[in-house]
Formats: sequence, structure tokens, C-alpha cells
Amino acid sequence: MTTLKRLIKRKVVIFSVAIIGIIVSSAIFAPLIAPFAPETQFREGLTLEGSPLGPNSKFILGTDLLGRDLLSRLIYGARTSLLIGLLANGVAVLIGTFFGIIAGFLQGRIGSAIMRFTDLMMAFPALLLAITLSAIFSPSLFIVALVIAMVNWVQIARVVYTQTLSISEKEFIEASRSLGATNTRILRCHILPHLAPFILVWSTLGISTTVLLEATLSYLGIGVRPPTPSWGNIIFENQTYFQTAPWLVFLPGLAIVMFALSFNFLGDALRDELDPTQRGREN
Amino acid sequence: MKNYVIKRIGHSAIILLGISFITFLLLYILPADPVRQIAGRSATPETIANIRRELGLDQPLFAQYWHYISQLAQGDLGRSYLQKTEVTLLIQSRLTPTLILMISAIFLELLFGLTAGIFASVKRGKNADKSIMIASFIGVSSPQFIVAILVLYIFAVKLHWFPIGGYGTFHNLVLPAMTLGILGSGWYSRVMRSSMLDVLRNDYIRTARAKGVSEGRVIFIHAFRNAILPIVAMIGIDIGVFMGGVVVVESVFGWPGIGQLAWQAIQRVDIPIIMGVTLVSAIAIVIGNLIADLITPFVDPRIRIRQ
Amino acid sequence: MNSHPFLSVSDVTKTFQENSGKNKIKAVDGVSFNLDQGETLGIVGETGSGKSTLGRLILNLLEPTSGTVTFNSKNLSSLSTKEMRTSRREMQMIFQDPFSSLDPRMTVGDLIREPLDIHKIKSKQDRHELVQSTAKSVGLPTNSLDRYPHEFSGGQRQRIAIARAIITNPKLIVADEPVSALDVSIQSQILNLLLELQRKLELTYIFISHDLSVVQHIADKIMVLYLGKVVEFGTNLEIFNNPHHPYTKALISAVPKINPHDRTDRIVLLGDIPSTTSKPPGCHFNPRCHLAMDMCRVVEPALLAIKSDPGHQVSCHLFVDESFTQ
Repeated sequence: MTTLKRLIKRKVVIFSVAIIGIIVSSAIFAPLIAPFAPETQFREGLTLEGSPLGPNSKFILGTDLLGRDLLSRLIYGARTSLLIGLLANGVAVLIGTFFGIIAGFLQGRIGSAIMRFTDLMMAFPALLLAITLSAIFSPSLFIVALVIAMVNWVQIARVVYTQTLSISEKEFIEASRSLGATNTRILRCHILPHLAPFILVWSTLGISTTVLLEATLSYLGIGVRPPTPSWGNIIFENQTYFQTAPWLVFLPGLAIVMFALSFNFLGDALRDELDPTQRGREN
Repeated sequence: MKNYVIKRIGHSAIILLGISFITFLLLYILPADPVRQIAGRSATPETIANIRRELGLDQPLFAQYWHYISQLAQGDLGRSYLQKTEVTLLIQSRLTPTLILMISAIFLELLFGLTAGIFASVKRGKNADKSIMIASFIGVSSPQFIVAILVLYIFAVKLHWFPIGGYGTFHNLVLPAMTLGILGSGWYSRVMRSSMLDVLRNDYIRTARAKGVSEGRVIFIHAFRNAILPIVAMIGIDIGVFMGGVVVVESVFGWPGIGQLAWQAIQRVDIPIIMGVTLVSAIAIVIGNLIADLITPFVDPRIRIRQ
Repeated sequence: MNSHPFLSVSDVTKTFQENSGKNKIKAVDGVSFNLDQGETLGIVGETGSGKSTLGRLILNLLEPTSGTVTFNSKNLSSLSTKEMRTSRREMQMIFQDPFSSLDPRMTVGDLIREPLDIHKIKSKQDRHELVQSTAKSVGLPTNSLDRYPHEFSGGQRQRIAIARAIITNPKLIVADEPVSALDVSIQSQILNLLLELQRKLELTYIFISHDLSVVQHIADKIMVLYLGKVVEFGTNLEIFNNPHHPYTKALISAVPKINPHDRTDRIVLLGDIPSTTSKPPGCHFNPRCHLAMDMCRVVEPALLAIKSDPGHQVSCHLFVDESFTQ
């Protein structure tokens, strides 16, 4: 596929794929790479006053407020973020695409009803909604991912709706109908293949939004709860030490930014390749 | 045209009603029991039952909702469970700081974003363009709290140029506004850049240059006026998004706005406040979208004629 | 005339509603005709004449608001969805725009094979052979099947569309302006292909066009439409040698003629075609007709056959004395 070749030539894509590769490997091989278990608290991990240690020979990046190895927690944190990112985004894309296609293809009353509903959901202050939902339901990785999906599916639905609408109006769809194609066939063989690139782009961009939302929720203390490490909750736990041990805040922060950045770069590059008229536009 | 405006406003009203209901529903099915929070640990079952009855929480869902809506129609957002003050008053007192922050933030977002976008479009393909775009991407990919903490660390803790949070003077405003300004400018710069590129490609720009119009005029008067159109709509949406997401920055900088109010309320399960803030934010989003929808025809004569 | 004509369109009307019922557009207004197997009917009209809508009504891609379309003794509106789908094997459409009527993401082979897949004709292996032979019969080069539509020229894309249309061995083909989007030099190639296929496969054509010179080349019978109504109907010979309706005459005068002796003065029509939402009262053509009488502005003329030739019908007050009711 020449698209792939063109993609690979871009420097940002190489950068993004490299970062994503590092993160994914950390996530998958965490037990092999991490020097320690992320939840073990070491007595020698704290100073005599009980503050975290800076980087030293045993703990390469230092320790956190409970004497746990920061590097190990960061590596396992990749696992958390990736898991939630994929799960939340996957669910959001699934729900969004489902409703978007139905609304765009069937149109009529069902279509309007679905679109009115997305109008409603879009008027919800997203972060507030996520915070409220997280506060309501018991904290678990799964619930956090679900909450994020609930907030994110709407935008995907709207994009898929617009696309499905415009594809449905094209003459080759009418041509297939005149041949006698059933709706199922038209959806499967004509509409979905045309939607596929969009879904791919939005999935990639969506992972970045998802990760940012999860980090924010964890930072507020209502996302992934400790001791399970998440880059967001590492910052949450250690923010009181940020003047004396700023790396406890900035290293996970850097990880978050790198993660989101690489998916954003990749998604944007994909969008450029698949639809040159959309360059640089948002929403 | 008037019909359209009326239809849109009606539409928005229905959306607000829908939001109020869904929020009410969500809070109704909370596993956390607000009554226990209020009563405290050592309350007897009698006290709890009394409080529940007092607050009307023993009524069925629709009765509670109906009561809420009828109060709302009179401008009454209820009373905070824990603070014994009217929600309306609480929100009013917090609204001003948030609005100040919002206006300053959007001003800075536009200042940085539009300048960067125009500059990048003019220097297209060169290093300046690439660096600006990368910076924009970083802005878009960073969560608010990280930038907030970073800004706080560098300018307040290390350099002591500004106070560490608080409210009251211009100095307090700078850091939170800068944080939001830098982050938000990422969106604007990208849209501005692509919009400028689209406009600069047009024949009328070529004509202007051929007529001998100075490049400065071409860019800032001819191109800018047309490229700014999508930005206008974005500002409307930005207002809405801002209200929803301001919790983080207000928390980090101790800014006493409605975001902070909402956060405290959520932690204490103070339902009336949560409802109130959600509604106010939703109103802001709806108004923001409405403004974006209604202003665009004014700014873009092509759409106006079609109407 | 056959007692059971191959295709019978009877008083078909199609009204569209815009703006949730506020604007009613009568795109097709009371059109009737019969067609025998193997014949070619040319439907001629300009923008707003309803000819494309009529084409879709004939194939039941749109449901008529009133009236019936009977094909092969079956009333199309009365068929169930499943029966209709099966009937589609026998009636196909060729669209005007060879750029947008082919799915750009499918290969030519997939496109031509699609009708076979839809109707589950032949086994999967045999389909490939049939696709190849059909592609050959429309003049596509042998290696086309793995390529994509955008790699081909307009004329070749229409050949692909034609291949798609004939592969299920249909009896009726409705071609909606099939050559209008092509260069003039390619037009005759495609027209000749269509004629050749008609001979080989015993096809019946309905050929829709705004271009009378094209229709002259290919049609046995010609129907002229104006704002949804039939203004004249007759054989190719009759229409061109003995046109009656002022609109028909104007259209014919605009056809470029090579022989200088054939050239006559062009009849220039006044004004523009009115919008379909506000049709003029009486005879819809009256504002532009240089022969319009007072009656034309008030009363709609009926479609009546002329005395000298019952197969030739006109809808015009000028000829009422000459005609008798059908």
C-alpha cells in the first residue's frame, strides 16, 4: 500500500511509532523489564524523615512517598494507561460507530432521534460528567474505562453520522440498490469500507483523548486508585513533594504527554493521508 | 431568519431540560447516601429518617424531579445540603472569578493561537512552521494539570515571580490564565493555520497581490478577515468546553470559581450544588453553541444571503 | 399493438414533498406509454422535465404516488420486497455519471461481478468466467479486472457500467443520459456498443437524454417531456419529419445539421425553464411559446392522437381540431 510507504517517510510518524513501541513494550513486558514489583514498599526507599529518595544506584529514578520504586511504577503505569486507553477507546468507537451508522443510513425518525440524543450528550460538561460518574461508581480499571467511553462516544457518533450520510447519498449506492442489493449488503460492502479510514483515524486520536482524561481523573483521585499505578495517580499521590522531589511529578507527566503526543501525531498523519482536505482541522 | 433563531432557542431549552433530567437521574441512583454524609457518623436511624424527610429524599424520583423543576422555574436552585446556603447564592459568588478567568484565558488563547497560526501559514513548510505546529501539538496533548503544575513550579516556586495560587490581584490571575492560554492556543493555531492556507490559495488573493497591494495588507486584511470565520464558531464552543473543564486549573491554583465549588460538592456528595453547577455549565455550553451558530451568518456574508 | 405489452406505464405521477409538506413538487404528472420487447424508447427533456425521475419510477427505484408500472405482466408496486429484488435481474439501469456511479473502492472485476453476487447466480468459480466474457463483450481490455475505476477514462467507465447492467441477462435497460458526460467522439462509440448489444441480447431500451441528436440515432419511439408532462409522443420518423408541438419544433431546430440544405432558422424560446415548484397555470409551456393563445394560459391541454397517425400524440391546443381522443 503506497499510503503506508508515504506514512513511514514522515519523521513524526517514525517518532510516534517509536514512542508507542516503547510504551507498548513496557506494558507487555512489564514484569520482565521492571526492576521491582510496583507495589512493594521498601523501608530503605525512604529517608530517615520518611521522604522519598532521589535517583540512586538501587532505585534508578528514585522512590515515591511510600518508598516504592518510581521506575517500576512508571513501567507498570504504561500498562494501566494502555489498557484503559484501548478499552475505553474501543468501546467508544464501537458505540459511536454503531449509532452513527444507524442514524446516517436509516435517517428518518430514528436518525433524528439519535442525533438529538447526541446533541444532548454534547451539551453535558464532559469533565463534570466523568467526575460525577467516577464518584458514583466503585473504582476499578474497568469502570474508569467505561466512564471515559461514555463521555467520548458522542463525538465519534457525530463524525460517523456525517460520513455515512454523505456516502449514502452517493450515486454508486443507488446503483447497487438498482442492482437489487439488500441494505445489509450495502452496509457491509459499500459503506463500511468507506468508513474504515475514518474509524481508524478517530480510533488513533481517541486513544490520546482517553489517556488525557484518565490521567486527569486519576490526578483528581477518582480515576485509577492506588496502589495500582497510573501515571495520573502517581502525580496525585506525590504532589505534596513536588517542590522537593519534582521528578515525581514531571516524569509521569512527561510520559503522559509523550503518549498522547505520539497518538496525536500518528492520527493526524493518518488523517492527512486518508483525506487531504481535512488537514489541520479540528471538530 | 427570526424563525431560525426561535427554533434554535427552543431547541436549546429542550436540551437543558434533558440535561437536568439526566443529571438528576444519575444523582438519584448514587450508591453514596447524601443523608448519611449530612447526619454524620453517630446519627440514629430516627435522625436519618427525619433528615431524609426534611430534604424530600424519601419521595419517588419523579416527585423529586418535579419539585426541582418547579423551583427552578422560579429561579431557585435549592439549598446546599452541607452549607445550608442557597445554591444560587453560592454559584453567584463563584461565578465572577470563573468568568474573569475565562475571558482572560480566551483572550490569551486567541492572542497566542492566532498569531502563531498566521505566522505558521506565512512561513509554510519552513522550520518556523514546523516548530509552531509541533508546539501546538504538544499543547493539545498535555493535560491541564501537568501544565498547571509546571507553570506553578517554574514561575511561582522557582522564580518567585508570581504567588502560588490564590485570588484577588492581577498577579494571581496571570499564572492560571497563562496555563489555559498556552494550552488552548494549540487548537486555535492549527485551525488558523489551515484556514489561512485555504484562503491564501484563492484567486482573489492572487489578484490583490497582482494589483500591488502590500503583503502586510494582503495577509492581515484580506486573508485574515476570511480566515477568521471558523475561529468565531470555535470561540463559542470554547466557552462551553471551558465551563465544563475548569475544575482542574481552579483546583491547582486555588482559584475560587465554580469549578472548585463543583469539585468540593462532588467529594461531599452535595447534590443540589452538583445539579446547580452542571446546569450552569450546560447553559454556558448551550449558549456558546448558540452564539457560534447565530454569529456565523453575520460574519460570513455567503451564509447570510442563503438565508 | 400487443394486448400484453412488454412494458406498460399507466398514468404515473410522482409528487415530492419538501420542507415537511410545505412545498409539493410534481416531478412526473400523468405519464403513460407502452413499449414492446426489443424496442427503444427515447425520453427527451430538459432540466425539470422529470425524465430522470420517470426512469427511476419505471424501475421502481421510486414508488409512484399514483399510477402503475407493469413489466412482464407484473405490477411492480404490488410485488413484495423479495419478489422485487428478484425482478431486478431483468431490469437494469445505466447511470449518467461514470465517475460517481462506480464505487471507487472496488475493483472493476468486483464491480462487474456484484450483480452475480447479489442474486447468487452461478457458483463462485463460474462467476469469474462470466465476468471475463462480459468485460470482453463491452470492449474492456483483458487486464482491467484487477484495476480500479479511477484508472480508466470516462468512456471505459461507462463500458464497466454497461457490463454490470447486462451481466444478469436483463430484458429491459433504462439508460439515464449514458453518454452526456462523455466527449463527443466517445459518445458514438458507446452508442454503437449499446446498439450492438441490443441486437445480440434482444434488449429493450429506455434511453433518457436531453440531446435530440443522440436520441435520433438510437430510438424507435420518442417521448418529449416538459415539466413532468408528455407534450409529444411518436415514432422517430414522425417526430423528426412531422413535429407538431412548438417545444418539439424548437428542440429539433437546435440540433446541429451537417447538410446545409437541412438547416432552418433556429426557434429561440423565450425566457427560462420555470422552477418545478411554481409551474405556470394552463399549458405549462405557455410563457415561452410564441404561438400561445388565451386558452393556453388557463386550460391544460390533453394528450391526444393526431388523425393522420394514431401512434403520434400531442398535448397542445393548436391541434385539437386535428385530433380525436385516444
